[in-house]
Amino acid sequence: MPVADLPLVSMLRNRMQWNQTRQKVLAENVANANTPGFRARDLKAPAFRPDGSLAAALPAGFGITQTNPLHLAGSGAGSPTEERQRTRFDVVPSGNAVSLEDEMLKASENQADYQLAASLYQKSLQMLRTAVGR
Amino acid sequence: MDFMKAIGIAASGLRAQSGRMRVISENIANADSEPKSAAAEPYRRKVPTFSQRLDRELDASVVDLGRVRRDATPFRTKHDPGNPAADARGEVRLPNVNLLVETVDMREAQRSYEANLNMISTARRMISRTIDILKA
Repeated sequence: MPVADLPLVSMLRNRMQWNQTRQKVLAENVANANTPGFRARDLKAPAFRPDGSLAAALPAGFGITQTNPLHLAGSGAGSPTEERQRTRFDVVPSGNAVSLEDEMLKASENQADYQLAASLYQKSLQMLRTAVGR
Repeated sequence: MDFMKAIGIAASGLRAQSGRMRVISENIANADSEPKSAAAEPYRRKVPTFSQRLDRELDASVVDLGRVRRDATPFRTKHDPGNPAADARGEVRLPNVNLLVETVDMREAQRSYEANLNMISTARRMISRTIDILKA
């Protein structure tokens, strides 16, 4: 069994990948903070099964999603964890609904989250190193 | 790597906001530009526009500074019969620039610029944290 497939390590890796994608989505929101008609988006938190595997595939971006089981499955990657924010109360007249304060808060939260996952990853690698006696 | 994409997206925001600052400073600089004659128009205020564009390389929506539009509101007038650009009634048309509006717009551009910079530094810190895993 490769080290990368250990449940702990793969969970942390998925978490870090999710943080990366989220950072991209938040950057999109901030860049479009003055674009008319733009609505802020966010990612749903990843759901893990008890054995550490992902309940749904991580999104690679915003692909196509099957909204009806009768539709043909597309070739693009679906993104079940995408979430469009509900209508905010402070939509400016141009139709833009991005709150910079909110986005800054999310970005720093995302960064702290990522640092936590990265430290845990580092610690688990150290643990493995201890186990092999180095 | 998504961090690089995040930085690229924030960079498009920086570009758009600095373009907006350029247009605003044009407006402020020309706030008192008078017409050459009574028939000519004085400086007409410029309005920057933003548009969302899907960047295929980054696979994300980046922001572009769209066409710079002209403000259609009427010009200010001043009674100044001695002015060479005054019409028969002694009125001179002045640009439709409101300094208060421009200053507020400038502040907003500054805030948005700072927010984009913040996103870049956050992504950078996350990258360096990733590299730290290797150092342990």
